[in-house]
Amino acid sequence: MKRAYFLFRKELTSIFVSPVAWIIMVLFTLVMGANLYLSMIAVSGDLKQLVAAGYGGLVSWFMLLVIPPLITMKSLADENRQGALEVLMVTGISDASVVAAKWAAAWTFYVILWCCLLPLWGILGMVGVLDTGVLFVTHLGLFVVGAAYCANGILASALTSHPLASAGLAFMFNVGLFMIHWLRFFFRPGDLELLWVEYLSAVHHIGDELTQGILDIRVFVWWGSFTLLTLFLSARVLERRRW
Amino acid sequence: MIEIENLSLSFGDRRALDDVSFHVPKGAVTGFIGENGAGKTSTFRVLTTWLLPDPETVSVRVGGIDLLKDPHAACSRVGVLPEQLALPGELRVDEYLKFRSRLKGVSGNRIHDEVVRVLNAVNAPEMIRRRLDTLSQGYRQRIGLADALLGDPPVLLLDEPTRGLDPRQITQFRELIDGLRGNHTLLLSSHVLGEVEQVCDRICVISEGQIRLEEDRETWTQRLDQLGRLHLELDCPDTGAKSQVTQWLKEQPEVSAVENEGSVWSIQADRTLRTRIGKKALDEKWIIQELRSEPATLESLFLQWTGPEKKKAQS
Repeated sequence: MKRAYFLFRKELTSIFVSPVAWIIMVLFTLVMGANLYLSMIAVSGDLKQLVAAGYGGLVSWFMLLVIPPLITMKSLADENRQGALEVLMVTGISDASVVAAKWAAAWTFYVILWCCLLPLWGILGMVGVLDTGVLFVTHLGLFVVGAAYCANGILASALTSHPLASAGLAFMFNVGLFMIHWLRFFFRPGDLELLWVEYLSAVHHIGDELTQGILDIRVFVWWGSFTLLTLFLSARVLERRRW
Repeated sequence: MIEIENLSLSFGDRRALDDVSFHVPKGAVTGFIGENGAGKTSTFRVLTTWLLPDPETVSVRVGGIDLLKDPHAACSRVGVLPEQLALPGELRVDEYLKFRSRLKGVSGNRIHDEVVRVLNAVNAPEMIRRRLDTLSQGYRQRIGLADALLGDPPVLLLDEPTRGLDPRQITQFRELIDGLRGNHTLLLSSHVLGEVEQVCDRICVISEGQIRLEEDRETWTQRLDQLGRLHLELDCPDTGAKSQVTQWLKEQPEVSAVENEGSVWSIQADRTLRTRIGKKALDEKWIIQELRSEPATLESLFLQWTGPEKKKAQS
């Protein structure tokens, strides 16, 4: 575990010394800031509706689907291609630790990105009445869904040896997960299958529950389990060189 | 220090290493030579636990630890300078080496001293705050070697350490490797056989995943002496005299082969024959234009040991 922590620290340092990370951060804040501004106009300044309008809209979903693949695309793919992974593994660190550390660094950066928007909410809170509970729960949801999307990115990065291929594959995984929501059109209200779709759908969790202030622990169980399973698969993919 | 017994490694149906057995004694510098795809890097990858050998492998011991039983402990006994050295360009030298020290289990209060020690060992202490992406190829290799030395592992594996270096850097790097002799057991893979000849105490030749030869310097030097040739050029007036010279050379006990073309003879023999040729020339009034020995190189020995005839004979 110690080694995983050291690797996590190094990965996070590497992310923050790279100009790409800062460019992503600035662009993310600008786009999401503009999105919140437009959403506020759409809800006529009602801050209670702003969380759902701002974080449940297309722009947020686009960010959710695109940002994790961009953060994780170099994690394993590039290192595998350059031989850096081999250099790393000869120190005796386990495959699972490498996967865990790389994911943790990517997810931490993802969390920091969303936290960049908190000052905007702080300013809004000073001029109006903000439901901090809803905001907190929504952020928890974004973090837990993002954890799974980052895990998808790590898996894609382990499966390929080119960063762009990794980003493309991770984006496909994330879109696949996102599209589960639209399976509901195949079922009628009251069908058991519809409950399953809702249980698995990120759009339902964020758009219909968390941004409305509904905190369902099953949401965290599902996304947490999915993240762990994906990370386990990633570690197995790394181990394939020994098969 | 490195003892490999019947090591086999397969990738699907292809056998990359086939019953490889060799040993590297403590403190020795051993050259591990072979053609591309012969199995050098695969052997290194097994020694670093990057790859797992086939189940029929008997034992792979590194620094006294059986790698098959305790791969983690074996890892800590090995330092590696890989052929493909990928350094994170965004980090500074000390940041990178500190990170590597932590991964290798160097205790927190010793890390700074350890980084300074290894940078001094590779003659690059002034690079401590330089960013890795601003280093020249020579210094990158030195930082790679410094990384391998972290934690003072008894065994060092150097895969093509002078690849991409200019002649001055190669000489400096060779001196560095020479300085490690005795304190560490080195296994050095290289295609530059002149370098192996200069630096190594032993050689191990691998071809098509099998060990073809394992010898110490004394034995291979003797072998090279036997393979050495003498070049003789005489001012010979007629064909009769030429055949007389050829006949006399063939009668000498040290000579194993004689080739004649015009007034030039190429003789496979010990170089001590030169004195006798000189005496004979005086007696017979031969006019010597040129007489020099052409020592055999490790390259010729390597070609002989990995050539098609040898492979056929061994199979």
